[in-house]
Amino acid sequence: MFWRKRSADDFAEEIKAHLELEAEDLQREGLSEDDARWKARREFGNVRRAQEQFYVKGRFVWLDGLLYDFRFALRQMRRSPGFALTAILTLALGIAANVIVFGVLDALILRPIDVPKADQVMTLARKHQTYPFFSYPEVRDVRDGNTVFSGVAADMIQNFGVEADGVTRPIWGAEVSGQYFEVVGIQPFLGRLLQRTDDDHPGASQAAVLSWPAWKSDFSGDPGIVGKTVRINKQPYTIVGVTPQGFYGTEKMGQLDIFVPMANEASLEGVAWLESRSDPHVYSIVRLKDGATMPQVQAELDTISTRIAREYPKDEEKLSLKLTRPGLMGDFFGAPARGFLAGVLGLALIVLLAACANLGGLFAARTADRSREIAIRIAIGSSRWRVVRQIFAEALVISILGGACACVLAWIALTGLARWHPSSEYPISFHIQPQPSLILVGLLISVLAGAAFGAMPLRQIFKTDPNDAIKSGGIPSYSGRRWALRDVLLAAQIALCCVTVTAAFVSLRGLSRALTMNMGFNPKHVVLTKFELNQAGYSTVAADQFQRQLLEKVSQLPGVRSAAYGTTTPLSMDTSDSNIFAQQTTDFRPSNRKFDAFTYAVSPGYFSAAETPLLAGRDVSFTDTTKTPAVAVVNQEFARRLFHSGNAVGRYYKDGSGKQIQIVGIVADGKYFSLTEDQEATAFFPITQQPTGHTSFIVRTDPDFTDAVTNDTAVAIRKVIRDLDPAIPVRECSTWNSQLGMTFFMPQVATVALGLFGAFGLLLSITGTFGLASYTVSKRLRELSIRVALGAQAKNILSAALGRMFVLLAAGSVVGMLLGIAASRLLSAIVYQATAQDPIVLASVAFTLLLTGALSVACPVRRALHVDPANVLREQ
Amino acid sequence: MTTQPSNDDRISLLQGTLDLLILKTLVLGPCHGQGVARLIQRHSEEVFLVDHGSLYLALQRLEDKKWISAKWGVSENNRKARFYSLTPKGREQLLAKTSEWQRLTRAMGLILDSSKGPLNEGA
Repeated sequence: MFWRKRSADDFAEEIKAHLELEAEDLQREGLSEDDARWKARREFGNVRRAQEQFYVKGRFVWLDGLLYDFRFALRQMRRSPGFALTAILTLALGIAANVIVFGVLDALILRPIDVPKADQVMTLARKHQTYPFFSYPEVRDVRDGNTVFSGVAADMIQNFGVEADGVTRPIWGAEVSGQYFEVVGIQPFLGRLLQRTDDDHPGASQAAVLSWPAWKSDFSGDPGIVGKTVRINKQPYTIVGVTPQGFYGTEKMGQLDIFVPMANEASLEGVAWLESRSDPHVYSIVRLKDGATMPQVQAELDTISTRIAREYPKDEEKLSLKLTRPGLMGDFFGAPARGFLAGVLGLALIVLLAACANLGGLFAARTADRSREIAIRIAIGSSRWRVVRQIFAEALVISILGGACACVLAWIALTGLARWHPSSEYPISFHIQPQPSLILVGLLISVLAGAAFGAMPLRQIFKTDPNDAIKSGGIPSYSGRRWALRDVLLAAQIALCCVTVTAAFVSLRGLSRALTMNMGFNPKHVVLTKFELNQAGYSTVAADQFQRQLLEKVSQLPGVRSAAYGTTTPLSMDTSDSNIFAQQTTDFRPSNRKFDAFTYAVSPGYFSAAETPLLAGRDVSFTDTTKTPAVAVVNQEFARRLFHSGNAVGRYYKDGSGKQIQIVGIVADGKYFSLTEDQEATAFFPITQQPTGHTSFIVRTDPDFTDAVTNDTAVAIRKVIRDLDPAIPVRECSTWNSQLGMTFFMPQVATVALGLFGAFGLLLSITGTFGLASYTVSKRLRELSIRVALGAQAKNILSAALGRMFVLLAAGSVVGMLLGIAASRLLSAIVYQATAQDPIVLASVAFTLLLTGALSVACPVRRALHVDPANVLREQ
Repeated sequence: MTTQPSNDDRISLLQGTLDLLILKTLVLGPCHGQGVARLIQRHSEEVFLVDHGSLYLALQRLEDKKWISAKWGVSENNRKARFYSLTPKGREQLLAKTSEWQRLTRAMGLILDSSKGPLNEGA
């Protein structure tokens, strides 16, 4: 029985009633009133003992004691609400940081992708390359030649023009091979999913599967959707089913909304790569058979890749396969994401540790204030354990309240993050809806944190000698020689905060460099429009005509300085590359190549529109056609690598097919795939020599235009395209800068996260330093007054009162900066050119710390300097 | 409720018997604690000594087990008192405990009465 309904008072009342009844009976039997009363009492025995037994019987005594401790803790907090509030807020922020980071880590990395038996689903990857791209024949070879997988599938994320009810919408989806839905293992929400027969040969079936969100939003949840016909890239397809709610594909960063058979690739895209071994286009996911072990699988993959390499030495010479966890494009995003999140989690833990050190210091100071009270408690018979329990109860109340606030904060933040779609042409969203298990994590962290800072004053309590404390009037003899625990805590805390501040500055500096870095083109005042003409049924010849027509119309729009187009633009993630061979090469196997270069097909005028400086030679021209010799404009790095000199105009090289290409121009180097890449070689071909419907249209407007006017231009361009052909689904039409969002995404996220941690670290060090400095001054006010009365100078007073504080601050800062520099090496993977050896970073960190140190001791210093000895000594 | 040594000629209650006596007493009708103590003493011809503190704890224990219920009322001579009455569950328990007790006393009697009991043999 936990809580008895009957109170101890009621029981006492009953005993009182008994004694009266008994006395009355005894009186009736002839005793005098006093005798009767006395006898009734004697007959009853020990009333107190009965009451005590009644009290003890119904409950767990320790629980009762604990309840008292908690009530005491709440009373303590109510007595100093400022302290309680600061402590709870500090902890709430510290814990929230950890819960949020853990939530993201859990969703992106720890938790498998959201399919049945996800532990059996893996992604095929290359051993020596992080980007897990394969050609379809490679995947087919693995599929047909293994004994360890129950399914092997290829998928290619692709944007489709889906026409339903007369409207064409660009929808992100995937071309999937026949075993795709076997591998993911989901059951359809409606109808059926794609099967092996759908993907048997090109044109085997014109079936498509919708995702649940697309069915809900684009088809307004039509229950009769199965059997309806839509047009995908102008081809009629029948919707055969809808995937279950929550299925987003096998990549965690996005949502795929439509699935079509990969066999129909050529008719959908207008280019045929399905049978080409040198055209890696697809991801591959596999499902392991029950009981297949990783060594077994790896051995088999090695056998298969050796066999493929032997059979196709020209294309597959270096093929070597492995498996990796799915969800983040294999190790391409996975590895940096793991590294980054581990780093951020480390920082979050540091912040929490600093918060605990902060609170531990405050607790130690408070316990020192209570030393007389604690001594009295111990003197009159309280056990030290009991006092410790009180302190722990207070620590726990604070930490659990802090944890509760943290959970609310984390929930809001994660829900916001899950709803957030970074500006990008890709369907990026984060599947990081917070899970209830996070509350447990939060609670666990809070209890651990509470125990950590609650343990700080333990030593003080155990060494309390009641005799001493009461004799010396409760003011601990302040020798001023020994270092108290709280001093060490402060130094540790300053050091930890310093790490976060250094990290913040390093990433801020890295971001500012990334933003001002020379990318080889100028994305300002440019409208970038992307569309696929093959989605509207254009042949390459028709596409070429359309593009030229559009260029002419758009060039006449008001405010347009220059316009051009290409297959794609640098830093847009869908870059293609090809092997480059020297002119004299005859054997075109990959190991004979000179290097690998990014390739772009561009229209004349592209370099001036993109403001990529043309350094030598000529631009591509409309007179370069499929009938004239192949030419290319290359960047400086290309020329350097091939000829070891900048003088390349007029010279030749060969591509993987052995075609000889003349270099007609040199352009400045730039960034092509990511901001952190080393300088890459790049070749630009005239788009008129390889016409394609894949179009990125760049339009440079007047540099005096504001963003709003530039946006008006975007609207005008959309109208021009619509007027020319309303069937073309425009995927993206906005400023180039905004489309580079994805490129700056990681450094921005890193900077925001690290900046928050840095700010929080600073806040902690301010409160910690301020708290301890003012505590020290107030404790020693009496001593300082005597010094002042005896004629001490301001300098002496300062060094006496806060000298030790300054030593602590300096030591903590130096250690922290060293740690921060060491930790910043981890950042260099995400933040471009992140380095802590940068003098500007070091100076900013030092200055910031100096400033916060000065700010936080200013008040206590004032107080120490303005001691009025007469007043203080009179008071005491 | 251990049996306590007493220096008069009354016998302290055996462990576990108090509950049965309380239940039995309450068969007669609701009664307050002091009444129960008096009734037990009177019916045992003043042989049993009831420790009043233990009695109230026992009453509480029975109430917690829901064998008896209690409510405050007024005694015959107009005093406030807490009256206990038997619940149906208590009545069942009384029957069970009574037969248990009777078997126990019978067994005890058999052993103690026989002249050739095992206790005498070793002597």
